[in-house]
Amino acid sequence: MTDTVGITALIPPELVYACRHRPLDVNNVVPTSSINPRSKLCAWTAVWRDEIMEGRMDIDSLVVVAGGDCHNALVDGQKVALSGVPTHYFFYPFDRDPDYMASQLKGLARFLGGIKDKEMFRTISGLKEKGLALDQLRVDDRARASDVFSALISFGDLQGDPAAFEEVLDTIPHTDVEYSSRVALIGVPPIYPDFHEVAESFGLHVVYDELPYEFVRLGGNDMQALAGSYRNYSFSGPITGRIEMIRQELDRRRVDGVIHYTQFACHHTLEDEIFRAHLDYPVLTVQGDLPRPSSEQLKLRLEAFSEMLEVMP
Amino acid sequence: MNTGLDVGSTTAKIVRLESGIITASKVVPSHRWKELLEYGNKWDTVETIATVETTEAIQTPEATEIIQATETTETTGTAETIVSTGYFRKTVPHTAAITEITAASLGVRYYIPDAQVIVDVGGQDTKVIDLRNNTFLINDKCSAGTGAFLELAAHYFDIPVESLGKLHTRASRCARINNTCGVFAISEMISQLVGGYTMEEVICGIHQAFARRIAQMIPPVETVVLIGGTVLNQGLVESFESIHGSTVVVPPSPQTVNALGAALYGKKLRPEQ
Ligand code: SF4
Repeated sequence: MTDTVGITALIPPELVYACRHRPLDVNNVVPTSSINPRSKLCAWTAVWRDEIMEGRMDIDSLVVVAGGDCHNALVDGQKVALSGVPTHYFFYPFDRDPDYMASQLKGLARFLGGIKDKEMFRTISGLKEKGLALDQLRVDDRARASDVFSALISFGDLQGDPAAFEEVLDTIPHTDVEYSSRVALIGVPPIYPDFHEVAESFGLHVVYDELPYEFVRLGGNDMQALAGSYRNYSFSGPITGRIEMIRQELDRRRVDGVIHYTQFACHHTLEDEIFRAHLDYPVLTVQGDLPRPSSEQLKLRLEAFSEMLEVMP
Repeated sequence: MNTGLDVGSTTAKIVRLESGIITASKVVPSHRWKELLEYGNKWDTVETIATVETTEAIQTPEATEIIQATETTETTGTAETIVSTGYFRKTVPHTAAITEITAASLGVRYYIPDAQVIVDVGGQDTKVIDLRNNTFLINDKCSAGTGAFLELAAHYFDIPVESLGKLHTRASRCARINNTCGVFAISEMISQLVGGYTMEEVICGIHQAFARRIAQMIPPVETVVLIGGTVLNQGLVESFESIHGSTVVVPPSPQTVNALGAALYGKKLRPEQ
């Protein structure tokens, strides 16, 4: 029987499909959720926690990505587990150890009832190729960043249906974009559902979405390849690796400035100073809390950043 | 001729620039911003545009016509470009609108070409702009370190906010105020008054608490340019200088520097003026 498996952050969706289940990235409902969480630090985890516990999200089990990613998720995930949802905890190795990664993937496959359809590895690899091509299209100014962002972020669960998702990818318009500056968006994804559209309205073309790019960059056609690839998930390892990766992408994508999105009560906020010190670009730091359409404060910052990049020498 | 119009949360300012020289400037309370457009003797076209009141209205065919008419006349050298800035930049007449960040950067550079860090203390927010790497920080989440904090203190003593600076100079010592949250600072002020400090000494303490809050937002730098109406308060400037440890430069007319920046932006748009 195919179950819907809630996932709290990146795990290989190809493995969930290969075990004949359907992943559902629980974060996807957050930006448009109307829930006002009862108790919260980070709104991302608090909102999906309440969505699940109030029975608004139809999942059969939950995989919590904890180690190397998010301790708020670990606690809120345990609250969900205590409410009776079968829950598995997945840990990335901070030291990128391939054996540890392989053992975590095996443990996950066991939780999901074992691999039954190896062909899914290849199918999803093919889709990720398409995702990478789409990403390149916006780097080449031939696709809107808002369209590409929503496609890339959906690679976390391939919208529960790889075949239908492929059709979605094929309908993304190829269109020449005009803008005043090229920017990168680093950090966790913004909780504002309209962030990319608002940035576009101020002439900012987002040519790099750090986290969603990981969703298409990582993959593999068998368990060993998956372990070799996912152990390099940049968010889970030392920040030096992330800086190196970001620098390389900023250069390759010819960006003019960097926007660092931070989430209220998220430990990644502490990384702001490190990025500012190590990235040789103008950096705008913005912060979000509850999911809402972009605030006037955010708009002022994006507008001012766009002007700074364009007007100031 | 280029006009910069800065309509902020507390005051509205105008600066007129002709051939790169400031020929007029004026400050009025925000709600009287329309007076600025009547001020001076060459504001004909501006007055016509002043009948347009909202951003939406500016997009109406009539408004477009007015703006186009402005542009046509400009080529003959008789009309002007209005660049607006400030919180209400999009709801007042404008040929172009820019944020206060850009306006401050351009305005300050007019007086201090090698300025590094600008601190703009506004009525409702405080902005720190680092011109060395085109980055900025805005505190608009709480009143701490904004003009609203000083308003609150002045209101408590029932004195005009403009008198705070003068009263500060009469203090022979400073009461310690730790809180920068407006609400908690008031109760701390009261306990210092009860404890024997004078009003002047408590005001000095308020300025120091204010300066500490702003200093936290500023990156290490030797010289800081302070702008905004609040910096006319000498007590505040002195407190900031002693707490942050940097040299403070206040440009001439710190209150109209953003309006000047807006006018200069107009000059960038139409260099021939
Ligand atoms: S934003 Fe930070 S705290 Fe929130 S879920 Fe993501 S990693 Fe965890």
